[in-house]
Amino acid sequence: MALNNTWVIARREYLSRIKTKGFWIGTFLLPAFILAVSILPSVFLARTKTSLRLAVVDETGRVATPLVQRLKEGKKSEETPAQATRRATQEVQSGRPSSAPPQPKASFDVTVEARQGEATAQRAALDSKVLDQSIDAWLWIGTGTLETGKVEYHGVSVSNVVTQERLENALTDVVRDLRLTDAGYDPVKVHTLLSSVDLSTVKVSAEGSKAEGGVAGFLLAYILFFLLYMIIAIYGQQVMTGVLEEKSSRIVEVILSAVKPSEMMLGKLAGIGAVGLTQLAIWLATLLLVTAPALGLTLAFIPGGIPTLPLAVVGHFLLLFVLGYFLFATFYAAIGSAFNDIREAQQAGASAMFLLVPPMLLGPMIINDPDSTLSVAMSLVPFFTPLLMMLRIAVKMPPLWQILLGYVLTTATVLFMLWVCAKIYRVGILMYGKKPTFKELLRWVKYA
Amino acid sequence: MSYSLELRDVRKSYGDFQAVKGATFGVPPGTIFGLLGPNGAGKTSTIRMIMDITAPDSGEILMSGRPRISADLHRIGYLPEERGLYRKMTVFDQLLFLGELHGLGRAVLAKRIQSWLERLEIAAWGKKKIEELSKGMQQKIQLVGTLLHEPDLVILDEPFSGLDPINQGLFKEAFADLKRQGKTILLSTHVMEQAEKLCDHICLISNGRAVLDGELREIKRKWGGNAFTLRIEGDPQVLATLPGVDTLTVSPDDPQSAKVLLRPDANGADVLKQAIGLVRVHEFRSEEPDLEQIFIKAVRDGAQ
Repeated sequence: MALNNTWVIARREYLSRIKTKGFWIGTFLLPAFILAVSILPSVFLARTKTSLRLAVVDETGRVATPLVQRLKEGKKSEETPAQATRRATQEVQSGRPSSAPPQPKASFDVTVEARQGEATAQRAALDSKVLDQSIDAWLWIGTGTLETGKVEYHGVSVSNVVTQERLENALTDVVRDLRLTDAGYDPVKVHTLLSSVDLSTVKVSAEGSKAEGGVAGFLLAYILFFLLYMIIAIYGQQVMTGVLEEKSSRIVEVILSAVKPSEMMLGKLAGIGAVGLTQLAIWLATLLLVTAPALGLTLAFIPGGIPTLPLAVVGHFLLLFVLGYFLFATFYAAIGSAFNDIREAQQAGASAMFLLVPPMLLGPMIINDPDSTLSVAMSLVPFFTPLLMMLRIAVKMPPLWQILLGYVLTTATVLFMLWVCAKIYRVGILMYGKKPTFKELLRWVKYA
Repeated sequence: MSYSLELRDVRKSYGDFQAVKGATFGVPPGTIFGLLGPNGAGKTSTIRMIMDITAPDSGEILMSGRPRISADLHRIGYLPEERGLYRKMTVFDQLLFLGELHGLGRAVLAKRIQSWLERLEIAAWGKKKIEELSKGMQQKIQLVGTLLHEPDLVILDEPFSGLDPINQGLFKEAFADLKRQGKTILLSTHVMEQAEKLCDHICLISNGRAVLDGELREIKRKWGGNAFTLRIEGDPQVLATLPGVDTLTVSPDDPQSAKVLLRPDANGADVLKQAIGLVRVHEFRSEEPDLEQIFIKAVRDGAQ
C-alpha cells in the first residue's frame, strides 16, 4: 500500500470538487438559510423600533388615557396581567396554547386630539395630516367602542402587522379592563385568578440540572441528526457517481496501471470525505456562531431560541460523520464499480438507504427515552450507530463506555466493509457489459 | 541477454473460462514486440496481468530477468485499449496527475508537460478542459500521459483502434522515435498488416495460447518461400483440394484471386500444373507470405 498513490488520488478528488461552483453554492446556501431565519426576524423587529406617530380621537373619553399609558409601558416581555388573561382566555377558547409572538419593540408617539366640530371634517383633517406626513396614523375611538369593540385605524401603511397587533392588544386590554370595572369586577383580581400555568422544563445531566428550552433542545438534536443523515447520503452517492464516471470514461485502467485498486478506492473515499468534512466544518461553524450565547441571536420561531451547541457534541458529530461516511461510501463505491449505468447503480444504491431508514423511525423513541435498553441497543448496531448515537449525544450525553463501544463496533464494521468492497471494486471496475447478479458479486469477493 | 519482459507459463481463468492458457514469451530489449491475435484471444487479459491489474492464477512475470515488483510498474508506460481522461480536468492538470501517480515531482512534470505540448504544437492548450478537445487531440494527450514518466517499456493495447489516419501516422512516428531511444515497445493488435509493418518480433496468440513466437523476419523465412497468388476463372476454392496446398485465402477485393500457401515439401511448379489441369489460370505469381496467412496456418496447426 503506497501512501503516495492514495494521497495523489485523494488530492485530485478533493481539489477537483472544491474548485466547482456547485460545491460553494451548496455549501453557502444552507448557512445562508440558517442565518436568514435566525437573524432576519430580529433585524425586522429592530426596524419597527421607529416610533409610530399616532393621533387618537376618543369619543368615550375613557379609553385614550389608559391606552397611552399601556403603549408607553413598552417592553411586552413583562406581560401585563391583562395580557396574561387575554392569552389564557384565548387558549381556553381555541383549545391550543398560543405561541408567544416575537417580542416587538415598536414604540408609539401618541397625541390625544380633542373631539371638535363636524366628525367628517375632523376625519378629513386627520387624513390630510397623514398624507403630509405630520402623523403616521390615527385612531377613532367611537362612542360605542366599549359595547361594539370596534375602533377605526387610518394610516398610510395598513400592513404593519407587528405594530397593529400591539395596538390591538393594548386596545383590547384597556377596553376589557373598562368593561370589567363597569360590570363591578376588580380587573386585577380577575387577571390573577385567570393566570395560566407554565411548565418549566429542566434537562437533567451529569454536570447538574440546568434549565433548557425543551422544544429547542430537541430541535437542535434533530437538526444535527438530519444534517448527518443528509451529508452521509449525499457524499455516499457522490462516491458512487464518481466511481461510475471513472468507469464509463475509461480512465480507470490508466490509473490502475500505476496504482492498486484498493489504493485508488481509498484515495477516492478519502478525497470525497474531505470535501464533506470541509462542508460540514463550514456549516458547523455557522451553527456555533448562530447558537453562541454572546450573539444572543434567537430563532424567531422557537421560543427561547436554540440552546448553545457544545463543542463536545461538535467533536462527536465530526467523528460520527467520518465513521458513517466510510460505512456507506465504501458500499456505494462497490456499487459504482459493479454497475455500468447510473440508473442500475441507483437502484442498487437505494438498498443502502434502507439501512438509514430504521434510525429515522427510531429517532422519536430515542429522543423520548435516550437511555432505554432499546435505545442503547439500537444505537450500538453498527449501521445505525452514526445517526442514533448522534441523536443520543445531542439529547443527553450517554455513558462514555457506550459511546466508545459504538465507535469500536462501527470502526470494525468499516474495516470489514473496506475489505469486502475493495474486492468487489477491484473486479467490478474493469467489468463492462451486463449488470452483475448478487451471486456474482459474492463470487468476486471470494476471488483471491 | 535478459529479456526486458518475460512471461513464463502465465495462466488466468475467469470462473470456468480460461482466458490465458499458459502464455510464455520474452520481449527483447529495444524492439517493437507485437502481441497478435483476433479479438478475444487473450491479449488484453495477458497485458492486464503484466500491468498487475489482475493477478495470474499461476506462472511468472519477470522484468529484466527478475520477478516483477510493483515499483517496476513505474518503468512501464501503459496505454490501455479502454482509455479515457477526466473530462472536466484541464490538459495540464490531467497530465500532472498522471505523472504524479508515477511518483514524479511537480516541477519536473511541469517542464516535461510543457515540452510535450510544444512538440505537439498545442502549447496554448494546457488550460483547456479535456471535454473541449477533439477526439484526436484527446488521444494525443493520452499518449503524452503514457510517456510522461519516460518509461523503459511501453505497453500499448490496440494503440491504433479509434485513431484517424493522421493520428495513426503520428503514433507510428512516436513509436519509431521511442525505438531509436532504445526503449522497448510491446503492442497488441488484431490488425496483422500493422504488425507486419511495425514489429521486429511477434507473438501470435489464439484461444489463450501462444501459437507462434519469434523474430518477424525469421518467421517469414521459415513459413514463407512457398506462397503464391493465383488468379483463375471461377471460384478459387477448388484449388484448396490440390495436393501440396496448405492454406488458401480468397482475396476480398477480387473473388477470382486467391493466395495459397504450400506445404514446405510442395513445389510451386507442380501445383501450377495441377491447377491448369483443373481450371483456367490467368495469373500465377510468387509471393512473400503475409502474416495473416501465417497466422491462419499457425492457428490450425496449433489446434491439431
